[in-house]
Amino acid sequence: MPSDPDAALMEAFQGGDERAFRRLFEKHGRAMVAFCNHFVRDGARAEELAQDVFLKLHASAARYRPTARFKTFLYRIASNHCLNELRRGEYAARRAVDPDRLGADRAAPTDPDTLTGPAATPEENAVAASLGRAVQALLAALPEKQRGAFVLARLEGLSYDEVADVLDTTVPAVKSLVHRATVAAAAALAPAAGEEAVS
Amino acid sequence: VTTKHPVTELTAYIDGALAPAERVLVEAHLTACQACRLEHARLARAVAVLASLPRAIPSPSFEQGFRARLAAQKTARRERRGPFERGLWRWLAPTLAGVAASVGVVLYTGSRHRADEAFVAEHLDLFESYEVVASVGAVDRPEDVQVVAHLQELEARP
Repeated sequence: MPSDPDAALMEAFQGGDERAFRRLFEKHGRAMVAFCNHFVRDGARAEELAQDVFLKLHASAARYRPTARFKTFLYRIASNHCLNELRRGEYAARRAVDPDRLGADRAAPTDPDTLTGPAATPEENAVAASLGRAVQALLAALPEKQRGAFVLARLEGLSYDEVADVLDTTVPAVKSLVHRATVAAAAALAPAAGEEAVS
Repeated sequence: VTTKHPVTELTAYIDGALAPAERVLVEAHLTACQACRLEHARLARAVAVLASLPRAIPSPSFEQGFRARLAAQKTARRERRGPFERGLWRWLAPTLAGVAASVGVVLYTGSRHRADEAFVAEHLDLFESYEVVASVGAVDRPEDVQVVAHLQELEARP
């Protein structure tokens, strides 16, 4: 039996236990929506993409080997899927011209678990909205590999080892990718956070 | 204290991703180098801001929508698989029936044992059932064979 409990669930699913798959979905579905949203910044589309990821997982369960951590297997499917989505020119073009999308990102629900303390003031809301837009612009501007490493390490909290597994690269490469993206983030987010930009 | 600025290592240092020996070197350098201290502070601020961003959460219909899509995927997969297996059974059923009939004829003519005749007759009926059922496309999967095999039991029930 593998020590990774998710890997054990995946093995159970490979053996025909649909409840095990359901538990995996319940456990990782929400995180997957947040992950996909980092790429497309569109709540509804992020949900579709997260569902796609689990449909792919369901259909390709036989390919999973418990030697790989389930989490890296899942994020690898998700990264490839999101990057393919972004590579599709028509999606980028549709977003660029669709006026209904303009307020969609700001209207995306946020996780109440991450909200602490009293309700935000209008100024704090404005800063948060400004930061959200700055992150969106930053992610759109980052090269593909940097974006993948940055989202996984910085926004999803994966370790450098895990990111290297997901992106099929080395830990030193991840270290460099995350560093360059973080330097870019520091420059891009400083004005939105009310700081002076330092290049 | 190293004179080389640990530029790339600063982010990994903030993320706690350096090996202990590397960490000691970076800390020693930061003590002595103001430029790197400033860069470290700038990166640490950005990391803290990013960590504070709220995460998107799915709508209430997310899970229900997924179940509906999963059910549709399973149905589509079954339908894609169906024609192959139905074709396989259409090919197999006459063959099996022929084999069973041949065995039956041999046993019937070559043996006087009533038990064997009963055995063959029983299985011949079964193979003939397969042929009939398969010809109308009712046998889609190998598991259906078990159902066909026990049809008589079901019919015998009141």
